[in-house]
Amino acid sequence: MYYPTSHPWSADQTLGDHLAERGVNRRDFLEFCGSMCAVLGLSNSMLPRIAAQLEAVKRPSVIWLQLQECTGCVESVLRTAEPTIGDLVLDVVSLDYQHTLMAGAGAAVEKALADSMAANKGKYVLVVTGSVPLNENGIFLTIGGRTGREILEEAARDAAAVVGVGACAHFGSVQAARPNPTGAVGIREIITDKPVVNIAGCPPIGDVVTATLVHFLTFGRLPEMDSEGRPLFAYGKRIHDQCPRRAHFDAGQYVEVFDDEAARKGWCLYKVGCKGPATFSPCPIFQWNTRTSWPIGAGHPCIGCTEPFFWDTMAPFYGRLPNVAGFGIESKVDTIGAALAIGATAGVVAHAVATGVYQLRHRKKAEAAASAAGSSTTKEG
Amino acid sequence: MTSPSRPAHEHRPPIHAGALDYARRVPPPSGEYEWVYLWGRPLRFMHWVAAICIVLLAATGLFIGKPYFVPAGDPESAYLMGWFRFVHFTAAAVLVMTGIVRAYWLLMGNRFERLPALFPLKRRDLRNMIEVVKFYLMIEPEKAPKYLGHNPLQQLSYTGIYLCAVLAVVTGFAMYGQSNPGGLIYTAFNWVNPLLGGAPIARFLHHVLTWVFLIFIPIHVYLALRADALERTGTISSIISGGRFVEAGEHYVDAES
Amino acid sequence: MAATRVVVDPITRIEGHLRIEAQQENGRITNAWSTATQFRGIEIIMQGRDPRDAWAYTQRICGVCTVVHAVASCRAVEDALGIRIPPNANLIRNLVHGMQFVQDHVIHFYHLHALDWVDVTSALKADPAATARLAASISPWPNNSATWFAEVKDRIAKFVSSGQLGIFTNGYWGHPAYKLPPEANLMAVAHYLEALDWQRDVIRLHTIFGGKNPHPNFLVGGMASAINLDGTATINAERLTDIRDMITRAQRFVEQVYWPDLQAIASFYKDWASIGGGVRNYLSVGEFPEGNIEETDKLYLPRGIILDRDLSTVHPYDPSRVAEFITSSWYEYAQGDDVGLHPYEGETRPKYAGPPTPWTYLQQEKKYSWLKSPRYDGKPMEVGPLARMLVAYAAGHEEVRAEVGAALGRLKVGPAALFSTLGRTAARGVETVLLARRMNTWYDALVNRIRSGDVQTFNADKWEPESWPATAQGYGFLDAPRGALGHWVQIENGKISRYQCVVPSTWNAGPRDAQGQVGPYEAALTDNHPLVDPERPIEILRTIHSFDPCIACGVH
Ligand code: HEM
Ligand code: HEM
Ligand code: NFV
Ligand code: SF4
Ligand code: SF4
Ligand code: F3S
Ligand SMILES: [Mg+2]
Repeated sequence: MYYPTSHPWSADQTLGDHLAERGVNRRDFLEFCGSMCAVLGLSNSMLPRIAAQLEAVKRPSVIWLQLQECTGCVESVLRTAEPTIGDLVLDVVSLDYQHTLMAGAGAAVEKALADSMAANKGKYVLVVTGSVPLNENGIFLTIGGRTGREILEEAARDAAAVVGVGACAHFGSVQAARPNPTGAVGIREIITDKPVVNIAGCPPIGDVVTATLVHFLTFGRLPEMDSEGRPLFAYGKRIHDQCPRRAHFDAGQYVEVFDDEAARKGWCLYKVGCKGPATFSPCPIFQWNTRTSWPIGAGHPCIGCTEPFFWDTMAPFYGRLPNVAGFGIESKVDTIGAALAIGATAGVVAHAVATGVYQLRHRKKAEAAASAAGSSTTKEG
Repeated sequence: MTSPSRPAHEHRPPIHAGALDYARRVPPPSGEYEWVYLWGRPLRFMHWVAAICIVLLAATGLFIGKPYFVPAGDPESAYLMGWFRFVHFTAAAVLVMTGIVRAYWLLMGNRFERLPALFPLKRRDLRNMIEVVKFYLMIEPEKAPKYLGHNPLQQLSYTGIYLCAVLAVVTGFAMYGQSNPGGLIYTAFNWVNPLLGGAPIARFLHHVLTWVFLIFIPIHVYLALRADALERTGTISSIISGGRFVEAGEHYVDAES
Repeated sequence: MAATRVVVDPITRIEGHLRIEAQQENGRITNAWSTATQFRGIEIIMQGRDPRDAWAYTQRICGVCTVVHAVASCRAVEDALGIRIPPNANLIRNLVHGMQFVQDHVIHFYHLHALDWVDVTSALKADPAATARLAASISPWPNNSATWFAEVKDRIAKFVSSGQLGIFTNGYWGHPAYKLPPEANLMAVAHYLEALDWQRDVIRLHTIFGGKNPHPNFLVGGMASAINLDGTATINAERLTDIRDMITRAQRFVEQVYWPDLQAIASFYKDWASIGGGVRNYLSVGEFPEGNIEETDKLYLPRGIILDRDLSTVHPYDPSRVAEFITSSWYEYAQGDDVGLHPYEGETRPKYAGPPTPWTYLQQEKKYSWLKSPRYDGKPMEVGPLARMLVAYAAGHEEVRAEVGAALGRLKVGPAALFSTLGRTAARGVETVLLARRMNTWYDALVNRIRSGDVQTFNADKWEPESWPATAQGYGFLDAPRGALGHWVQIENGKISRYQCVVPSTWNAGPRDAQGQVGPYEAALTDNHPLVDPERPIEILRTIHSFDPCIACGVH
């Protein structure tokens, strides 16, 4: 099962030549293209186009910058199944710069970066994981003595496409959570002159990254995106609308507390804070780690990791409503609301009583006044 | 005394319109009364339909927010949350229709119904606002300036509650649209989510607004009942019949525009 | 010969952003400085948050050791609030963390460390048949056939001839420090590729219990993955079988590929058994509770301290003696820069004090890193697999003694060889073998409990904040793949008021303290350490990689 499946793909070969040499027959190849069609949500009529394009491409240069990050996104790509990371690195692309895997270090790899950018000017794909800290002139991230911002700006200048991978590159992820001590921002704040695709998630599913690369290699452009820059083929739908526990949601069958009978029956996680109703993500469909499972599938609520600023807007993770800044006592809205509504009712009752008392007194006075006036008249009369 | 939209054409004997028992003991006003027509049919119709919708929306909304009963049985046959959401969304659609009616009537209604009537911007209104507050606080319960339509405080609170309804509709549709990205509602309303800082914030705001309604309703109903009982001019019936009786000799601030 | 200043920035094949500056004289390193060049401020970000959410934020400290901060955080909060997790949850956490160790160590060896010892280009000269014979002499692994080695060789040849070297561009190929024969190189490259597939498979254990990897889900009070043998969306018989098979495949790969490869390669580099020792103190907080968390005598790998390389005594670990210094770090403390603060009084106040970018050299600066300098009783400590194996060995842990003894015997070196770059790498291998084996025990225990009717995975008693005291504090310890980890949490009115993490790579990679004592990286680099060619600093990579740096962990 660990038998290596690929041959190297030399620079002067097209994928077609390469596959033919590998003994991959036309049918297998078309099958692969078909599965890519399915992943990318394309109709089968696109198949010949994908096949033709894929057969014609050469191993493109990929430069991968790792900025302010936790490397979880790199690890996620290491788990991809289609193509595997081994095939990706050796056969599909030429990964010219990537800290986690590169053999050389220091000046040697910085030279590799410079050389690749020069040799592939305007043609390389720039993959970025991590965010860019802007506070204090970006001193919170340096590589080779230069700030992350400077490195990113330089690398983006001549890139054919920019693929931001993960919540960090998307909006700064956890380091951008309040109070964002380093001023971390996503790369779209820096790269403003060309489209950036955001493979959202903390981390995203690795296969979405590879599928996006394949899309670019096939069509020469990035896939259609939503307003967040997320590719629609993966992020076009809410989790809640694709969730296998949805029938339980509609039925009103909820896990009240973890590991209760409902949890053991696999009911809906809405009441323990599931953010599926506000999260666009392919998790229920693509699933994680060779389609083994996914967060809700394993009994934990979604924390909304593909949404911008989810560390602030989706927290507390086990509550239904967010901890809105300044409001203070989050998720206590109901308590406060009910107290105010009851208070208003009580106030109204008190006011009614006061009104009644006032009216009674007023009437007595009026009557007294009236009778006083009457008696004087009598006296007079 | 003339009603602005149509002249008062009939004189009727005073009637007792009080609702609370103690109020009945307040000496009935004496003298001449005129019937003033204030609220057009569209406004009255929209008021009651919206009131019913909002009560339904708050009840179903709170269930959606915290589903407290859990049905047994298999999900195929149970559809509890489904029904609550169905009622919520249906009521939401009806509420929007009432909103359209009201918006139309903001332009086409009479002087008491048109847009300016909801904003206490005139200098006299601003001045009277304080008087009205004093009146409600029973500091100077006798001196309240009398209005035929909404007094300044009412104007303010109704504008506020309309605004809340608009916000509830907008945040509601922003959430609703997410179930069909690219669809009509999504296209029309989804911009709200990023504007607020994410759909969870829209949800939060939507939830808070529910409580605003639940606070508004008892105060509003009470004040209507109170006015009815004390002034005995048919305030409550005005939102049903459209008009009320006012004392002929009384000075009304908004009598002449 | 005059002293040469050497800068390696970035250090690659690690997690995170690390810079090493060194002084080289006559082929040796005479002084070294370790600098972390990334800061995020996660300890600051934790303030004011719900303690039950803390695991998720702190987990994002690192996506490589993606389990450990989450578990340390859960333990800290559970300690503070007095929550005891059910035994099933503990077993599940052990399985998840156990697989983390095994997968992390194997990835480290093949993908992060091996290219320091393995010359990929030399593999091209290998004879596939001889490679198969070599492989057969050390392991029964069925994939080790001549045809397969031939195919790998072919693949490398074409790759190299394509002129697009990708990740192998500008490696230090042909450096005289490479000593392996071509066949050993080819075998290692083949297993480098196999390990890539293997890690993707076995880590699915995390996905079953935690929904995904990296960053599987955890839960204060237990685990969220409910057990119901008859359920379709729960841990059921099918899931359990999958887990058992993964453990088997993990163990087989470790025993038949990783560990034999490691020992075979080590036998060519025995000179590295007297290089790169460094600080002489070792700390392990122990890991894999097999009883309740407070029963520290029931940790599978024991807790304790070795001082001055003296294996005759294991000193007890007293958490109150931990303190962090910032004398050489870009922070400030309210009480001045030379005090050490215990984590319960810890502060994280970044204050950059270095030169403006771009830098050429940093080493003349007084402060030179985002890492703090943790000290135990004022002493620097090495943490990690070597520390754990030394503490266990000295404490008389039978399995550790047997495996370490056997390995030393096969390499024909004495126990002193452990205090070195090679010793560190070998200790990691021993530990992986033991843990891959131990996972079976935890798996069996879990299955037996389920069989006897116990399916509880979560303790709901203190879930609601109403049940918490107004103030509380607690800590969570665990030995992570890279060493001793501690999270300290303080809670006020249901919210986190202070959160401090003291992390393995902070212990190992931290800079000089107030006394001027260097940290373990810096000490190791100057301990009998060669550096032949300052332009091609492969020796630095060997020793630094032997620690398995994780700088996102170290600075968080
Ligand atoms: C959800 C519940 C309700 C809401 C949101 C609501 C809202 C409003 C609003 C916005 C107006 C001003 C109409 C305009 O000028 O556009 C109004 C008027 C009025 N409402 Fe309601 N209403 C509610 C329920 C009720 C109920 C139950 C009563 C009767 C007891 C009532 C009695 C009145 C009366 C008498 C007026 C006439 C205005 C005036 O006093 O000048 N409302 N209401
Ligand atoms: C006065 C008007 C309304 C009130 C009082 C109200 C109240 C509520 C409340 C309390 C919730 C639960 C919030 C939570 O805790 O998550 C809710 C949910 C919701 N409401 Fe409303 N709502 C109103 C109008 C609307 C309108 C006009 C729409 C438009 C479609 C709407 C759509 C929704 C949706 C989509 C949800 C989320 C339901 C789900 O995700 O299943 N609401 N509403
Ligand atoms: N240092 C470190 Fe970690 C580990 N193991 C954690 O605590 O790697 Ni990211
Ligand atoms: S997005 Fe999340 S997983 Fe990816 S690098 Fe950032 S913190 Fe790590
Ligand atoms: S588990 Fe979450 S995503 Fe799934 S149906 Fe329930 S609320 Fe929606
Ligand atoms: S938390 Fe993230 S991984 Fe998927 S289920 Fe939710 S989007
Ligand atoms: Mg710390």
